[in-house]
Amino acid sequence: MTPWQLRDWRSMALASALVLTALALVVPRVTVQRTVYNVMAFVDITGSMKVRDMGSAEAPVERLEAAKAVLQRLVGDLPCKSRLGLGLFTERRGFVLFNPIEVCENFAPIEQSIANIDWRMGWEGDSMVAKGLHHAIAETALVDADIIFLTEGQEAPPLPPGGALPEFDGERGKVKGLIAGVGGQAKVPIPRFDGEGHETGAYAEQDVVQENRTGAPPPDAEQRPGYHPKWAPFGSDPPTGDEHLSSVRTAHLSALAAQTGLAYAGLQEEPDLLGAVMRAAHPHQTSVAVDVRPYPASLALLALLGVYAAPLAARALAKISHHKTGQRS
Amino acid sequence: MTALALSHPAVALLLPLALLPLLRTSATPQAYPSLEPLGGDPLSAVFSWLLRLAGTVAIAALILGIGGLHLKGQTITKTGEGAHIVLLIDRSSSMDNNFAGRAPAGGEESKSAAARRLIKDFILAREHDLVGVAAFSTSPMHVLPLTDHKPALLAAVDAMDRPGLAFTNVGRGLALSLDIHERDTSAAARAILLVSDGAAVIDRKVQETLRAAFAKRKMNLYWLFLRTAGTRGISEAPPEGEPDTPQAFPERHLDLFFKTLGTNYKAFEAENSAAVAEAIAEISKLERNPITYVENTPRSDLTGYAYGLALLCMLLLALAKAAEVRIPRGSPA
Repeated sequence: MTPWQLRDWRSMALASALVLTALALVVPRVTVQRTVYNVMAFVDITGSMKVRDMGSAEAPVERLEAAKAVLQRLVGDLPCKSRLGLGLFTERRGFVLFNPIEVCENFAPIEQSIANIDWRMGWEGDSMVAKGLHHAIAETALVDADIIFLTEGQEAPPLPPGGALPEFDGERGKVKGLIAGVGGQAKVPIPRFDGEGHETGAYAEQDVVQENRTGAPPPDAEQRPGYHPKWAPFGSDPPTGDEHLSSVRTAHLSALAAQTGLAYAGLQEEPDLLGAVMRAAHPHQTSVAVDVRPYPASLALLALLGVYAAPLAARALAKISHHKTGQRS
Repeated sequence: MTALALSHPAVALLLPLALLPLLRTSATPQAYPSLEPLGGDPLSAVFSWLLRLAGTVAIAALILGIGGLHLKGQTITKTGEGAHIVLLIDRSSSMDNNFAGRAPAGGEESKSAAARRLIKDFILAREHDLVGVAAFSTSPMHVLPLTDHKPALLAAVDAMDRPGLAFTNVGRGLALSLDIHERDTSAAARAILLVSDGAAVIDRKVQETLRAAFAKRKMNLYWLFLRTAGTRGISEAPPEGEPDTPQAFPERHLDLFFKTLGTNYKAFEAENSAAVAEAIAEISKLERNPITYVENTPRSDLTGYAYGLALLCMLLLALAKAAEVRIPRGSPA
């Protein structure tokens, strides 16, 4: 049995493959609108970022290294024509290394610059996260970008009793973006380093400021041993607490995010920041030229393959039907 | 060296489909009496295989076209004039003042803004240089490795007039600059351009490290000193009766230290932006060493050719198709 009906079908297929290929040769590049982002990433380089509690339990990764890896991945994931700048945070301020630059063209220098971030670049041991965030937002507003602030969120020294956030005097929502919480939920000791950079154990309870005694004492201070309203408003015992242990302070960072109009993302749960950036940052439209030639060419390929594959398919079909009729008789 | 590549390598997995025409012909099978007794016809055999080959080539070319066939961009090593330069930028807060030592008023340029503008011009004008950027203030900060990506360099220089930190730690900044040079293994001429408006005492220990590092590698050192008008210059000796200590005259002692390094060292004192421009022009003139640099040629797209070839083969197939004779089926013999 010869499938005569295929003859016209085949000529048609070949003709359409021909036309589609010719079309692929002449179609111009099409400009489409693409959503891109313009962000400044600030990396916390304070001592608590040296804690190794990211990654899995079997292969723990240092927080700073994890944050850097996440940023490097983001640089690769951001759509081309997006821009990214880099800054550091310690003490109470952000420090801009470079303003936002296009991520695809400058991939290599950005990636190496991120790789070279080191806690030794830090200029001060303090880690006033709220003030640092506010300052970083102001710096980001200067270059008209959105912010990614990567930190574990531990205030050192701690906030005054009551935990009221320092006032934010920026315009809420002008700079959008997110705070990325780095670190695990469990409280772990913070490693300590000597002047030469060698690890020498961990911080003990009395090594760090446990309580902020610069403002008014907490309302329950009268209950404390040795309390005297003038001479010992915080009581006479040295403050105790667990400020020498570190975990990602999700509640504090979420409160900061709410105060400044940013979003919050926990890196341990969401190591891919692109989704978070797409949800939180201002989308910018830019036009890019797209090569659409593969579309007609793919159709041409299908048609051409059909010319050759159809007889095979037809034969297979014929076999099946023949088999069936054979069974029936 | 030429290298072909696909933008989407996974598409190459479809290439076996190009073998299909070798198994099947595009001609419509028709019932005709046996030609066996006539024997082989070489011309027909050639035509038959030619058509199959055309089909194979057409399919393969289409697949390669869809995969984005291109000639890889190449790096050509050329020789030109230039150097590998690490910019060591002072980011201490005094850089935010103008040359008169005040916060800049309307229309005035702060020291760092003036330096920034001129350094950006310098970077743009130096075609073949690789430039790295380090910043220092209270601590040294690695900003960019040696790179020829001008937009990145300009963005790093742009950040220099952001509000800075408190102190000036030149020694560790220099150590970092040497470190950036150390990572680059090429034989290019090297220079460090220190841009600062002040100096500080360098620790004895750090001094020794720096001396050893500078002795190890030939390196030109330029100090662009943005002097506040009316303050003492680098080379001015202290007045009679005042103790000549590094603490009291850090600039003078930093200059003296640099002179003992045994390296090509030149200090430029600039009290205004015109002097900065002059200094940068002179550095630009000095740093003209033969240098090998790589030039990247863009990749060239070959998809058009692939589609063209496919079209040609398909035309051949279509011609064969048009010449096909249809034998009426079931006609009485």
